[in-house]
Amino acid sequence: MGVGDMKVSTQRGDLMITHALGSCLGITVHDPVTCVGGLLHVMLPLSTIDLVKAERNPFMFVDTGVPKLIVECFRAGAQKQRLEIMVAGGANSQNGDRNDLFQIGKRNMIMLRKLLWKNGLLLKSHDVGGSNSRTMSLEIGTGKVMIRSVGQIKNL
Amino acid sequence: MALNILIVDDSSVMRSIIIKTLRLSQLPLGEVHEATNGQEALKVLDGNWIDLALVDINMPVMDGEEMINRMRQNPATADLPVIIVSTEGSETRKEVLRQKGAGFVHKPFTPETLRDAVLRTLGGLDEQKA
Repeated sequence: MGVGDMKVSTQRGDLMITHALGSCLGITVHDPVTCVGGLLHVMLPLSTIDLVKAERNPFMFVDTGVPKLIVECFRAGAQKQRLEIMVAGGANSQNGDRNDLFQIGKRNMIMLRKLLWKNGLLLKSHDVGGSNSRTMSLEIGTGKVMIRSVGQIKNL
Repeated sequence: MALNILIVDDSSVMRSIIIKTLRLSQLPLGEVHEATNGQEALKVLDGNWIDLALVDINMPVMDGEEMINRMRQNPATADLPVIIVSTEGSETRKEVLRQKGAGFVHKPFTPETLRDAVLRTLGGLDEQKA
């Protein structure tokens, strides 16, 4: 899966992978009972900076992408109280010694936290910040989420 | 078994945030009591069965540390699980409180941190019983 992309599946054998999560956020949602899972790769916190783009591709932004991901999972049979939400990415984008001027990673995470809190959802676990790029995968059958970063693989 | 909870904080906003987080954590909540300082909290403890107390440190009238000291002296509440939710930064003061058997969540916290602290505290108790 690419940047600004979302997929939802109910096929137990499916494996969803998204690469190169820098300041972007990879967000997975999984319902262990009905085996509904979804993965979203968002770039920026707010759609208000470019509403035309947001209309064309809501999966670029946290505030438009996350609600769509969750609604899509509900449609496929997931239930709110069983949702397991995990997130990875949100790293500082560092160019040499320069500071992270826009702090996109941090702001993405703040936007996500706001959204979840408003809608009464908690994260199951997270792996965010730092300055390394991550690869995130979700197994629909088990709900297992793996993070690979600088050659190391871990279970989220 | 439903858990009766006592939340002690002088800020009503903070109490609401804690209550909302507990509800979201899908804990089996029973009665939720609130108190705005240590003295009020001791009164609540006197008249109700409480399973877990979440306590701020800096409060008017009676602070959290004093409250915990008095709780620990009373045989009825001596073993009550306590989690301190405070901006307290001093490691020595935190260590003193830990020795009194209290968990610690630093403000500002994310809802997940608070949930994990609550589950750890309650989970630890189950292991002791088993």
